[in-house]
Amino acid sequence: MRKRGKNRGMESKDINRKSAKEIILVGNPNVGKSVVFNYLTGKYVVVSNYPGTTVEVSHGTTKWRGKNVTVLDTPGVNSLLPTSEDEIVTRNILLNEKDALIVQVADAKNLRRSLLISSQLAEMRYPFLLVLNMEDEARERGIKINYQELSSLTGARVISTVATQKKNLEKITEELGDLREATLHISYPPALEEAISQIAEFLPEENISPRSIAIMLLSGDKSLKRWLHARLPESRVNEIEAIRRSCQARFDQPISYLINQARLKKVDEIVRRVTIINPIKRKRLSTRIGELSVHPFWGVVILIGAVYLLYQVIGVFGAGVAVDFMEETVFGEYINPFFLRWTERLVPVAWLRDLLVGQYGLLTMAMTYAFALILPIITFFFIAFGLMEDSGYLPRLAVMSNKIFRLIGLNGKAILPMILGLGCATMATLTTRILESKRDRIIVTLLLALGVPCSAQMAVIFGMLSGFSPMLVVLWGGVVGLVLAVVGYLAARYLPGESSDFVLELPPIRLPRIGNILIKTLSRIEWYLKEAVPLFALSTFILFILDRAGILIHIENGAAPFIKGVLGLPVETTQAFLIGFLRRDYGAAGLLALARVHALSAEQILVALVTLTLFVPCLANFLVIVKERGWKIGVAISGFILAVAFTVGGLLNLILKITGFKI
Amino acid sequence: MKFNWGKRKPHCHIRGPFCHREAETRDRAIDELLEFIWNLRENGVSNLADLQSEASDPEARNILSYMEQEGLFAREGDKVYLKEKGEEKAREIIRRHRLTERLLMEIFELSEEEAEKEACKLEHILSPEVTDSVCTFLGHPPVCPHGKPIPPGKCCTAPEKSVKPLVMPLNDLDPGGEGRIVFISSNFPARLDKLSALGVVPGSIIKLRQKKPSPIIQVGETTVAVDPEIVHDIYVKAV
Repeated sequence: MRKRGKNRGMESKDINRKSAKEIILVGNPNVGKSVVFNYLTGKYVVVSNYPGTTVEVSHGTTKWRGKNVTVLDTPGVNSLLPTSEDEIVTRNILLNEKDALIVQVADAKNLRRSLLISSQLAEMRYPFLLVLNMEDEARERGIKINYQELSSLTGARVISTVATQKKNLEKITEELGDLREATLHISYPPALEEAISQIAEFLPEENISPRSIAIMLLSGDKSLKRWLHARLPESRVNEIEAIRRSCQARFDQPISYLINQARLKKVDEIVRRVTIINPIKRKRLSTRIGELSVHPFWGVVILIGAVYLLYQVIGVFGAGVAVDFMEETVFGEYINPFFLRWTERLVPVAWLRDLLVGQYGLLTMAMTYAFALILPIITFFFIAFGLMEDSGYLPRLAVMSNKIFRLIGLNGKAILPMILGLGCATMATLTTRILESKRDRIIVTLLLALGVPCSAQMAVIFGMLSGFSPMLVVLWGGVVGLVLAVVGYLAARYLPGESSDFVLELPPIRLPRIGNILIKTLSRIEWYLKEAVPLFALSTFILFILDRAGILIHIENGAAPFIKGVLGLPVETTQAFLIGFLRRDYGAAGLLALARVHALSAEQILVALVTLTLFVPCLANFLVIVKERGWKIGVAISGFILAVAFTVGGLLNLILKITGFKI
Repeated sequence: MKFNWGKRKPHCHIRGPFCHREAETRDRAIDELLEFIWNLRENGVSNLADLQSEASDPEARNILSYMEQEGLFAREGDKVYLKEKGEEKAREIIRRHRLTERLLMEIFELSEEEAEKEACKLEHILSPEVTDSVCTFLGHPPVCPHGKPIPPGKCCTAPEKSVKPLVMPLNDLDPGGEGRIVFISSNFPARLDKLSALGVVPGSIIKLRQKKPSPIIQVGETTVAVDPEIVHDIYVKAV
C-alpha cells in the first residue's frame, strides 16, 4: 500500500458535480422518501405509513439540468452503522456509488434522529441536501425550526417540504445544483479519536472518507469485511482488528454505543439552538385513536371490529356479491358464451378449440378463475390492507400480538408479513426483511409458505365453504392455526440463531389519502395479474396436455391409493393437487368446481381444504424463497411442507373416520 | 508496604493506583486484597502467582498469611479461592465500592477519576444501613457504571418503602410518567445500538406511554413499541 501523509483526505473533493449520474434518496424510515421518489421520477413505488415499506432499492429517472439522471430510493435507516439488512443495503450504496448527489429526506418533527443521519453523511464527506419533510406535522405539534440557523450550523443546504401535498418539492432539483460539503463535525473521546486516525491511515481514499469507514470498523461493523479484504492485505486487516480490540478494552461500554452517544450529544446541542417548541396541550384526535388502538381492552375491541369489517368487505361483499356478479353475470352470461360462439365459428380445429374453451380451456378455465373468482377478492383485500397501512394501524397490531408471537419464539413484528401474506405470500416473503434475525425470517417464511392462505386461496375457500355450516370454517381455521402454532413453536425451538428484540417504531395515526390507496391497490393488482395469470395459463396448458396425451388418467390412477386411501378423497381431486404445485389457489379453485357439483361431502371438503391450504408454496412464492433464502432452504421448506400437508390431511381423515364425526 | 499495581485500568475491574495510598491499616489492606481476589475471579483468573505479585513486600505477605489463618481464603495448588467468610466480606466491599461509584458518577456527576478515588475511601467505611439506603436510592442498580455486576444486598430482595428511590427502572413509572435516562443496563450491544439509533440514550427524556399489552416508550416525537425486558433495562431519574 502506498504511504500517505497525515493530511491526506483533507483536500476538498470536487463537490460541484456538474456531471452527476445519480440522485440518492436516504433518510430515516417512514419520512417520505418514496413520495419524493414518485414525484421526481413519475414512477410509482408503494408508499405506506409504517417503517420498512421499501425493502428493495427502486430506480427511476428524472430530468436534471436537461439530462436524464437516475434516482435511487433506498430503504430507511436509523443509522449508517448498519444494524439490519436494510441498513446494510443503504450503507453499501453510499459506499459504492460514485458521483452521486445525496438528498437526505428527514422528518421535520423528529430533527434529532434526522441529524444523527446527517452527521454520518457529513462524516463520509458527502455533500447533501437536507429536506425537512412533513413540515405541516411539525407545525401542528408546535415545533418551529430556524432553517437558516440549521443550515449554518450543519453546513448543509436545508429546505422544508410537505411531500404528500407536493409543497416545495420543485426546490429539490433547484437546490441540488450547488451542494456544499457539510461542516458538521463530531469529536469523539480522545481514546476513540486516536484509534480512528490510526485505522484511517490504513484506508484508501475512496468516495467516502477514510475517517467514516474507520469509525464503522472501530464500531465492529462486520458487514464491511468483504470491502476491506478487497482492498487491504490480510495483515492490515488483522492490525485494524487489533486496534479495535485494544481500544474496546479501554471502555466497558460497546464502542458503537459510545459513538452514538457522542453524535447525539452534538446533535442535541444543534437541536436546542434551532428549534422552539410551544407544546400544544390539546390532544389530537389521531393521538387518542392511536392510544386506544393499543389499549389492553379497547385495543382488542378495535381489533375485533376491524376483523369483522374485513370479513364483511372481503368475505361477504368481495367473495360473495362481487364474485357472483363477475362469475355468473359477466363471465357466465357474456364473456364465456361470446368466446364459445366465436371459437366455434373461427377455429376449425377441434383440439385447438378445446385448448381455448374446453374443460381445461385457457379462456374458460384459466381466465375465469383469474378474473372472475380471484380478482374481485384480491382487489378488496388490497384496498383494506392499504387502509390499514396508511392509517398506521398495522404496526399497532404488532403491539397487540407481541405476546402471542413470543410464545412461539418470534416477536410482534412478524405480524406484518403474516397479514400481508393473507393477500399474497410471495409479496409477504419479501417483507420478511423487516425482521432482524435470519432465524426469524426463516421461520416466518416457512409459516407463510405453509399455512397462511393468500387471498386468492381464501377466495376459493370462502366460495367452497359458503353453503356449508360455519362449523366447517371453524374447523378449517382451527386445524390450520394449530399446525401453524405447532410448527412455529418447534421451528423456533430447534432452529439455531437468536430471536431478535421487539423494537418497532410506531408511526403517527394519519388519515389515509384515498388517492394513494387507489394507486397502491392498482399497482398491486397489476403486480398480481402479471404474476398469477401466466401461471394460471401455464398450469391449464399442462393439464390440457396431460389430459390429451392420456397421462392425466395414469397420474390419477397412480395417486388413487394415496388420495383415496390416505386422504379419503375422490380420485378427481388429484388434478386439483397437481395444479396446486403451480398455484395453491388454482388448485383450490379446482376443488371448488368439484364441490359445486356436490362431488364431495362436508368432511371430504374439510380434509381437502386443510391439505391444500398447507400444500406446497406456489411457484412464484417458491422462486422468491429461493431468491431470498437460497436453494437449500427453498427446497427444504417445500419438502417439509409437502410432508406436513399430507400427514395432517391423512391424520385428519383418520380422526374423522374413527370418531365418525359429522359436520 | 508496596503493591505491584502494574498497568491496569484505574477503576472497579482491578484495583488502581488511587486506593493504595489509603490502604494504610491492616484492615484496609485485607479489604484491598479481598477485593483484588474478587476482581481476578470476575476476570476468570485465580492464580496464586497473581496474588503473590500483588502483595510482594514482606508486610503484605504477612497480611496474606494472616488472612489465610483467619480463613478468608485458601489455596489449592496454584489456585486461590475465597472461603465463606472472605467471600461474604469481599462481596460487601465490592457492593459498597460499585454503589458509591454509581452514586458519585451519575447523581453527583463526578468525573470517573474523582468518583473512583472517593469510592476507594468509602468502600471501607460505609455502614450496612447507609449502603442499603444508597442502593435503594439508586433503584437497586444491577451493575456499576462500568457494567460490572453489583452484588445484591438484603434491600434488593425486600425493597423498603422508607427511602424513595431517585433512580428506578422505567418500568416502575406509572403509565404516562416521564424521566431522564440515567443509564441503560444491557449486556446486548445490538440492543444498545438499536436503541441509541432511535435516540434512546442516557440524558434523553423518555416517557412510558403504556405497559400492556406491550410497553410503548416515547422520546421526542419518536414512539417505539418494545419488549418488556427493555423497559426494565432503562433506568431513569424522575423529572
